[in-house]
Amino acid sequence: MISRRSLLRSTAAIGAASLLPRAGWAEAIRQRFDGVTLNVSTFSAAFPSLLKQWLPEFEALTGATVNYDTPSFPVYNQRTDLELSTGGAAYDVVNVTFIYSSRWINSGWLTPLDDFIADRNRTPADWDVTDFLPGAIAPETGADGRLYGIPWTAEALLTGSSRFDLVEAAGLEFPDTTDDLVRVLRAVNGKDRVAGFVADNHYGWTFVPYLQAFGGNVFRAPPDDLFLTLDTPEAIAAAEYYSNLLREFGPDGAVTYTPDQVTQSLKLGRVNFTDAGQLYLAQLGDAKTSKTVNTLKFGLVPKGPAGRFPGTAVHGLGIPAASKNKEAAWAFIQWALSKQTTAKAVAAGYGSPARRSDIESATFRQKQVINGSDLAQLALDSVDLAAKSGHMKYRTVSVYPQVDQQLNKAIELITTGQLSAKEAMQQAQVASLAELKRAGVKI
Amino acid sequence: MSIAVAKDSWEAQRRRAFLLGLAPSVIVLVAITLIPALALVITSFTPLSLTDPVGTFRFDDLLGNYRELMADPRFLGSVATQLKLSTASVLFQVLVGLGLALLLNGSSRILAAVRSVFLIPMIQPPIVVALIWKILYSPDVSPMHRALEAVGLPVRSLLANPDTALWAVAVADTWQWFPFTMLMVLAALNSMPADPIEAASLDGANRWQLFRYIILPYIRPILVVCALFRLIDSFKAFPLIYVLTNGGPGTVTEVTNYYSFVQAFNFSYWGYASAIATLMLAGVFALSWLVGRLDWTRHGRH
Repeated sequence: MISRRSLLRSTAAIGAASLLPRAGWAEAIRQRFDGVTLNVSTFSAAFPSLLKQWLPEFEALTGATVNYDTPSFPVYNQRTDLELSTGGAAYDVVNVTFIYSSRWINSGWLTPLDDFIADRNRTPADWDVTDFLPGAIAPETGADGRLYGIPWTAEALLTGSSRFDLVEAAGLEFPDTTDDLVRVLRAVNGKDRVAGFVADNHYGWTFVPYLQAFGGNVFRAPPDDLFLTLDTPEAIAAAEYYSNLLREFGPDGAVTYTPDQVTQSLKLGRVNFTDAGQLYLAQLGDAKTSKTVNTLKFGLVPKGPAGRFPGTAVHGLGIPAASKNKEAAWAFIQWALSKQTTAKAVAAGYGSPARRSDIESATFRQKQVINGSDLAQLALDSVDLAAKSGHMKYRTVSVYPQVDQQLNKAIELITTGQLSAKEAMQQAQVASLAELKRAGVKI
Repeated sequence: MSIAVAKDSWEAQRRRAFLLGLAPSVIVLVAITLIPALALVITSFTPLSLTDPVGTFRFDDLLGNYRELMADPRFLGSVATQLKLSTASVLFQVLVGLGLALLLNGSSRILAAVRSVFLIPMIQPPIVVALIWKILYSPDVSPMHRALEAVGLPVRSLLANPDTALWAVAVADTWQWFPFTMLMVLAALNSMPADPIEAASLDGANRWQLFRYIILPYIRPILVVCALFRLIDSFKAFPLIYVLTNGGPGTVTEVTNYYSFVQAFNFSYWGYASAIATLMLAGVFALSWLVGRLDWTRHGRH
């Protein structure tokens, strides 16, 4: 006797099957994993949420069942770090978090994907791994040159202005250099009760483009030479410059601003400029919640004496070394990051794809032009720039989380007047050195 | 002789029955408290790091972490911050709790209703309390900041100012936990005999003298217990720091358990973090011992 529940399930499966992709890669995984249960975990974000909606499609295509878990970003990272480090087999597919990628990949906790990709029986050519941005592939690649994750997002750090009308009224243009930025902020700070500048207080992310623009860096030549360079004259000058932006032009309590607070303050027009990830900046274009849609302007992060160094963040899907369902896990990754699925995500409004075909598509471009600023092009330029110079290598160093926090502290100490830039950066250097020694890093 | 044997046997049986009855609780206690605590202490003797769990779970330098801690200015700073925060918040909690208990000690319905309202902060989940104060302390959305600005007394962000950040956390902690002292003191006041107060009143004692010489000696043990309980609990102050300040600006609000969290969960140094937690455990044990040494019967003599 057929139960109501099984009838509904069969109907849903038939419905999903009728919409299944017909591409070569889809044929390669069709009905190959009947009875397999896959455990997939990534953090809660726009793309994983879309995948969750479309899981019945994958299940109908392959016959596998998926347990899908999306906790918040810090919870996900802690849980997965612990699971991978203890050789656990709880997950078959995980998000390869950017800041942990070196630790997870080079500790041997993930499975190299090259063999899956090269085998045409498993991965037909139309899946096209070369379509992913080189700048997004690089952080997913190990020191052994093998690929351990397929990127689903390539986000760039850009500069945004919520009240560009004030800048225009002052007869100025969008700041191209660090000097321009100060000139513009001096002209507009406090106008209409709008503070000049604020940034997410994760300064190990938002400050580094300025550090590099002034000719400084976190390490001497990462990932091979991890000699810390936080107390160089260039690094001190950059810290002084950046802290001054927050101190002189920031809103009250600037050092306490989280990413969501930054977005909200720009949406409400309380703060004019910020440097933030494109996903956050894209939210300013939401007419339902933003009061500044018609006065927005976006640009690349400013150029300093040493050049322009936009930050990028990449996340990908990988397979833990201890997974017992690697074939099915690869099938999941193929499906989730196929051209068909990512194009569908872009059509649904997803804002930071890692496939070039998506970024260059008319659908994406149309959605990413906000009040005349082409966020997609700015992001593409940033990711390409980061890939060419390789300056983002500092961020995938396994001990970067320790240094990252010292940078957060240093900028807070300078901005709140507790220490001078020189004292704070010297303190960050000494404290980071101690942390690196504890981690067993030979310098 | 046979009676004595029978008695021993009965007592032995009784003891065995008690032990048997206690056994499940003891097993659960050992499983969920002692074994993890033992694991913590053992881990604190290793340089265990999750980036290399096999290579770093070794016992070649048992006191290495503890030596490093004694020379770690951030750890020593966190202990000083912890002591400042604990002292300030416990003092505020006891004073506010005591004051309100004295004001609200009565049998009217209004007082009962007000007492219930004052209990609300204590029954809130700590993370909700932290979010409430995050809003109150964020100048751009805070009704408190707007009200002060409207009456011509604008106040700069308390959390971004290194001189006020710790006090701001202490105020939030006090708001959540003063009801504990209030409740305990109210219970003590309710159980207090009326005779001494009536006698002192007849002798011409004023309100201050009644409080100083009759009420305070009676409730003093309760106040000491409240202070010690809250002091022990204050070592666990985590959600407020995590949500309000992340230990900043700089490290001015970084208390010891937050520093331990950073070492374990941000840097993966589980050996080092376990050493910090072990020292905290020792501190809490010392305080618990002090609570155990209190003369619980003292108020009975008054």
